[in-house]
Amino acid sequence: MKILVCIKPVPDSESEIAIDDSKSWIKEINLFRMNRFDEFALEEALSIKDRDKNVKIDVISVGSAASKDVIKRALGMGADSGILIYTEDPGYISPYMTAGYIASYVKEKSYDIIFTGVMSEDYMHGQVGPFIAEMLGRPCASFVVKQEILYDSKCVYAEREIDGGLIEAVQVSLPAVFTIHSGINKPRYPSLSNMLRAGRTEIEIIDSNLISFPVLKQKIMLLTVPEKRREGVVLSGSVKEKAARLLHILSEKAFIN
Amino acid sequence: MQKDSEKIIYIVAEHFENIIKPVTYELVACACKIKKFYPANIRVIILGKETEKLSFEIARTTGLDVTAIEINELAFNNAQIYKDVLKELTEESHPSFVLFANTPHGLDVACGLSVRTGGACIAGVEGIDKIGETLCFRKQMFYGKINAHIAADSDTLIITVQPGTFGIYRPESQKPGSVETRKVQYSSEIMPVIVKRRSETLDSPISEAKVIVSAGNGIGERENLDLIYKLAGIFPGSAVGGSRILVDRGWLEYKQQIGLTGTQVAPELYIACGISGASQHLAGMKGSGFIVAINKDKGAAIFNESDICVVEDLKTFIPALIEEYEKESKA
Repeated sequence: MKILVCIKPVPDSESEIAIDDSKSWIKEINLFRMNRFDEFALEEALSIKDRDKNVKIDVISVGSAASKDVIKRALGMGADSGILIYTEDPGYISPYMTAGYIASYVKEKSYDIIFTGVMSEDYMHGQVGPFIAEMLGRPCASFVVKQEILYDSKCVYAEREIDGGLIEAVQVSLPAVFTIHSGINKPRYPSLSNMLRAGRTEIEIIDSNLISFPVLKQKIMLLTVPEKRREGVVLSGSVKEKAARLLHILSEKAFIN
Repeated sequence: MQKDSEKIIYIVAEHFENIIKPVTYELVACACKIKKFYPANIRVIILGKETEKLSFEIARTTGLDVTAIEINELAFNNAQIYKDVLKELTEESHPSFVLFANTPHGLDVACGLSVRTGGACIAGVEGIDKIGETLCFRKQMFYGKINAHIAADSDTLIITVQPGTFGIYRPESQKPGSVETRKVQYSSEIMPVIVKRRSETLDSPISEAKVIVSAGNGIGERENLDLIYKLAGIFPGSAVGGSRILVDRGWLEYKQQIGLTGTQVAPELYIACGISGASQHLAGMKGSGFIVAINKDKGAAIFNESDICVVEDLKTFIPALIEEYEKESKA
């Protein structure tokens, strides 16, 4: 069985995000980590491999240098090999483009399962997985919170989280695409032996310019900083002063006695 | 070129167990906003096994025309059938826009329709405005710190609308819309679907609490949850909640999860500790009476939604606050 896991680097939630001079993208960020949802997706693949050593896991990322680092981390967690679809432009890549690159790569291969995170933490589109499935004409289960391979019937039983505390259970024939939600497992840390192996493993690099597919025209015209929707009084002074001030406000409003 | 009177905005209604989901009316509000910039006729599309009650309810409450598509084979919200049927409808009537809710179901169908019809798809839309002459769709990026205004060049533009952002549509006219019902037979093989409730209940103390102290990823270590409970301890009628990430880690129970996929709350006082404030979470708490946010990241989106902002590390600030409180109450 062959599994492909799609991963991407994201800036941390506490990173400073500033708009650049073009006003349509952000200033360069240096610190990235693996998208948390992708860690869950990768862990799901690794746990399948734990039970069956014949499973081979590839990870794929669309991007530049930061993508290389998350591929290395994925190898350190236990993936077998990594593919980078290299794009020179560090700007915004729409989910349709990302999916198009990955689907073009997958067309030539024979993956039984493709896992993606349910969305990326930074762009929050949630579209790459469903797009890949559609482009390949394969079934897709999104927002998966539990999955089990039914080897006899070449299916996956998957539970999806839909709204309002509801779970939708589906049986999906392989090959198929699954977008994995958070909380489905506890992603492992890279192991030392795997990290050493990752250091020696060559990442397959594919030039994105060599991949072509029909493009849907969509672009970011402008980035803005969200407006304040409430008063947003910022307390000033030392920690102690701020604490006293907040306490005063809360007792004035009779939240405390 | 289509005349304005021939242009169409489709809304795809969401429903479950014979009830229209409120987000459907938010889609109507979004369509009306689009219509201000782009004159067109709005029509609601509803797919289902039995649609009579629901389609007339939508026509009555919104005053909009409804196309009901009855498919006997449609159990639950099977995305495969939605995609096939909506593709045909889209190719037949060339709508300028097709609106879905940004829910697991809506997103799935929207992406499918996009690839099948070649119409661009923008997900998680929270606002609409014009930049110059270009109609743009606003969505959050980077943990809610940035708004992106996205435009697309597409004959049909597919949009998924973030729940809890456009408000519920209130019609100007009392005249109900018309209902057109079509019956469609679906003969392809269907992926079997079952729907069940989560085993844990949502019957949670946080939905009744007057004060909620809520924790997010910014609390760092699990031990720091003690601080959150201690802080909650100084407010009568309080409860502790948190964002999804802490529930994922097993630090909080599912019934304590606040947000779109957890419980939606509106206490008199909400204290957000180490919460970044992406729209998933905001949708679950922004109706709160008074909001205090404590976060060491001065750029955190939660501060845009707060009455009082405390830019401090909660690990130092909360102990200081409790100490100050104890000093006061002894005095």
